[in-house]
Amino acid sequence: MFISKIMTRNAVTIDIDANISQAREIMSENNFRHLPVVNDSNFLIGIVTDRDIRSVSPSSHITGDNGMEALKRFSGIKIKDIMTKNPVALSPLDTLQDALILLQKERFGAFPVIDEQKKLIGIVSIRDLLREFVNVLGLEEPGTLLCIIAENKIGQMKKIVDAITEEHVSFGSVLVARYWEKGKRAVFPYLLTQNIAPLKRKLKKMGYTLLDPMDWYMDHLPQND
Amino acid sequence: MKKTGFLYDERYLRHDTGPNHPESPERLKAIYQGIKDADLLPKLTLIQARRADLKWIETIHSKNYIKRFEAACRSGNSTFDYPDNQICAETFETALLAVGGILDAVRLIMTGKLDNVFCAIRPPGHHAEYDAALGFCYFNNVAIAARYLQIEWGIQRVGIVDFDVHHGNGTQHIFEEDPTVFYYSIHQHPTFAFPGTGRVFETGNGEGVGTTRNYPVLPGQGDKEYQGLVERDLVPVLSAFSPEVILVSAGFDAHVDDDMSDIHLSTQGYSRLMQRIVALAGMYSNGRLISVLEGGYCLKRLPELAANHVKILLNA
Repeated sequence: MFISKIMTRNAVTIDIDANISQAREIMSENNFRHLPVVNDSNFLIGIVTDRDIRSVSPSSHITGDNGMEALKRFSGIKIKDIMTKNPVALSPLDTLQDALILLQKERFGAFPVIDEQKKLIGIVSIRDLLREFVNVLGLEEPGTLLCIIAENKIGQMKKIVDAITEEHVSFGSVLVARYWEKGKRAVFPYLLTQNIAPLKRKLKKMGYTLLDPMDWYMDHLPQND
Repeated sequence: MKKTGFLYDERYLRHDTGPNHPESPERLKAIYQGIKDADLLPKLTLIQARRADLKWIETIHSKNYIKRFEAACRSGNSTFDYPDNQICAETFETALLAVGGILDAVRLIMTGKLDNVFCAIRPPGHHAEYDAALGFCYFNNVAIAARYLQIEWGIQRVGIVDFDVHHGNGTQHIFEEDPTVFYYSIHQHPTFAFPGTGRVFETGNGEGVGTTRNYPVLPGQGDKEYQGLVERDLVPVLSAFSPEVILVSAGFDAHVDDDMSDIHLSTQGYSRLMQRIVALAGMYSNGRLISVLEGGYCLKRLPELAANHVKILLNA
């Protein structure tokens, strides 16, 4: 789960001396919204985004000679004037979790990835992270999701895993989530089987509450105030 | 009364899935008994199984997959591709007999000897992919029947309605880019049930956009939801496609008493659903409908469900 495995290598970049029209063209051609800005030796200098460009674009309401004038001025703008210098960047040995937390904090959609010398080696976007999550959760493998409520004490996971293993069922993934009752966690094993009924009976017999998926809504999680 | 066929063969019982597997020969025995006890056998044309020509299996599955499957059975393996797929030495043969019986049933319909047919076969098919077995399925029976209809009988538009409570990932993927076969599936929402596919935004790819339709239902839903979706969605959508023949992947595991799902469809709910599909066949397909068993695991309910199913075909 290192960034080096998740990132897109050979990121499309733009030179520090380029102007805004060039940036816009590259972005629309490639359907990107973030362009790392580099110098000739591929050192990361900044990042320019679709939003940076839009915030200096002339309004489409301006027409006629005024419009031509505005457009001419706009085309001459250098990206070094609108880019974010020294952007937040990741290193290849940062992890998926680092990227997630950073994304949540910083409100950016993508991070350039740099080596120790600050040379650009790749870029990671929200899209890349989502793809990893779909992978990690095993969403693209056929299986069945269970929801088990367990006490927040040592040994619970082992009992659950043992029960599942005894039924010769494989794990696609397991998610453990906060629940709204004090002292209880919700465990979501994603199991690679269609034949889930005997396992559910066994878990109930062991005293676990299996949550009816209709009861569990995301908004029951403790709110961040 | 319609000329209804009933495909059933004791050889389908030979596919042994071991002592605790839900996909057991007992299911088929329960279905047969239910139809027999309702005095329906004399009204039906009984069809026996026959070995399918491999060339028809090859219209859907890779040659390599077929060889692998055969080899796994011959070598005495007990599972194939996933631990759920329990096999025995007879499984390959049984799977061939299932396909062969269905193709015979199709032939009888296309030559006008029958109006419709119910195929009580094992193993089921709709989870089987081009090159993988899944969810107790090995050959995608309904998909092969669809291709057979097109290649051998010149049918252009085939409609497949799959009301087994699990999404038929195999069938969908096989015809996902094909505009000539419509795949309509009603199943428990993929977040809450195997196999985790069949989301509402999966509507086909490329040329096949618009001829795949998924209607996931949430755990706990039943008759009301099914009735609603049939009138609001299934009927108009299939009508617009206007299938020349309808294939039904008939799974009875959405029943409230079936352990394999959290859906609460009642016995009457099942009847209403099948009646609407039969009516669609009457309007667009000259009544030509081939129903093929998929899942359904509640031995107590299968006899009545099967008898009702067949009665609806007879009275179409």
